[in-house]
Amino acid sequence: MRGPSGDPSDPSPLFDDTSSEVNNHGHGDVGKGPDAYPGQAFLSDPMSNLAMAYGSSLASHGKEMMDKNLDRFIPISKLKYYFAVDTVYVGKKLGLLVFPYMHENWEVSYQQDTPVAPRFDINAPDLYIPMMGFITYVLVAGLALGTQNRFSPEILGIQASSALVWLIIEVLTVLLSLYLVTVNTDLTTIDLVAFSGYKYVGMIVGVVAGLLFGRTGYYLSLLWCCVSIFVFTIRTLRLKILSEAAAEGRLVRGAKNQLRMYLTMAIAAAQPVFMYWLTFHLVR
Amino acid sequence: MAGFDNFNTDFYQSSYSVDDQNQAGYGYSNTEDPYSKPYGQYDYSQPMGYTGAPGMVPPQQPYTGQIFQPTPAFTPASPQSMYSSGFEDEPPLLEELGINFDHIWQKTLTVLHPLKVADGSIMNETDLAGPMVFCLAFGATLLLTGKIQFGYVYGISAIGCLGMYCLLNLMSMTGVSFGCVASVLGYCLLPMIILSSFGVLFSLQGMMGIIITASIIGWCSFSASKIFISALAMDGQQLLVAYPCALLYGVFALISVF
Repeated sequence: MRGPSGDPSDPSPLFDDTSSEVNNHGHGDVGKGPDAYPGQAFLSDPMSNLAMAYGSSLASHGKEMMDKNLDRFIPISKLKYYFAVDTVYVGKKLGLLVFPYMHENWEVSYQQDTPVAPRFDINAPDLYIPMMGFITYVLVAGLALGTQNRFSPEILGIQASSALVWLIIEVLTVLLSLYLVTVNTDLTTIDLVAFSGYKYVGMIVGVVAGLLFGRTGYYLSLLWCCVSIFVFTIRTLRLKILSEAAAEGRLVRGAKNQLRMYLTMAIAAAQPVFMYWLTFHLVR
Repeated sequence: MAGFDNFNTDFYQSSYSVDDQNQAGYGYSNTEDPYSKPYGQYDYSQPMGYTGAPGMVPPQQPYTGQIFQPTPAFTPASPQSMYSSGFEDEPPLLEELGINFDHIWQKTLTVLHPLKVADGSIMNETDLAGPMVFCLAFGATLLLTGKIQFGYVYGISAIGCLGMYCLLNLMSMTGVSFGCVASVLGYCLLPMIILSSFGVLFSLQGMMGIIITASIIGWCSFSASKIFISALAMDGQQLLVAYPCALLYGVFALISVF
């Protein structure tokens, strides 16, 4: 029946009758896409498929290359050793940093020439505590400055970068002095970073005490933490830098051992200096 | 063996189905999976979801992995290999985008019940739709108090996600992908939205406000660490993972309070 609606032979139909076209395309198409749906055409076009495959292979190749190069500069597997910690270790180590006077055995235990993971040996250095300490120090510094109304987001960046720079200077100085004194030690750079990072714990304790109890609290707690870090550093580094005989406490005369002893004491004495330098402007 | 032919066309992509980190999640697993539904996109039993050398992120599989399968027969139950076969056989739009409301709701419930044990496999597909919604809601509640700080929210979440990604890759035996970290941290931002909506009604700077803030930070970091621990099978490290999460959410809380 003829009506105003759809007549395919009408040269100017009021609307397009596409019902017949849909039936033609429907279930027959398995391979190439129909033209009626341009979205489908994009995905089924062999050129764009090829381009997508090439792009994804390029991306994965780039990622592999980046991983390989990153591994050359930052040895990821060695870093993983320093993060193999658990809660018990962290708790005991924090206690040791604040109160090192009761601990007796400071030797790092080995297992067939490789040091045991920090999880199993409390004397092994780790990087979790220094890293968390650094970040907490930056945030606590921001908090302290905020209570004095001196806070702005740039301050966080300034504090972080200055603390980082001092850390790098300290590690480089220690490395240089170890080289000059020609000490045969198995201290790696990452070990030194770890040992230098342990002082952030004392700094945080000092600043928090200063926030809660004022300047008196700050000075008292900082004094306590400085002495503890001094003792901790001496006892830990003594075993690594001095020869075995001197490390056991026997008096060994000799210029070489004396020099090493002075070096250890200098490194340990630098810690309280840095602790005071990096925190005194935070507490008013 | 009658049904074997039907499965055969889909099981052949052996290299693709191991890694299920895709947003679209169109992988059929190699073994018959009792959990896969007819469209079967969300695969629960993916033990290999985080394989790879320690410290390395599993490679992102290309999206077009199985379009090239030579399928002689027209199988109406396999929508993903038949993109061009017509409008009726297209998968639903939400499925194609990888947004599964049921999963989003499940993950939200996991965050809201901090004492419920989390299922490690829920984080197998990285879903960033939920976290995006939560970030926007957080920014919106901040807007209600007059602080226009969307930039800070995004910046801090980006830096925080990057930091957690590096830390978790170094601390766990298996690695994680960045999408998974971002997804978990985004979901656990939900209690922070509650905090900032409190901040609309009352001021958070009194003693009561400090107590509420501390408890909400604890809630967020506890659920985030719980999900990470169960997804990465790390033992004895929950507090160690919770502490950096607490630092991150503490910064968010600072934004809402001050």
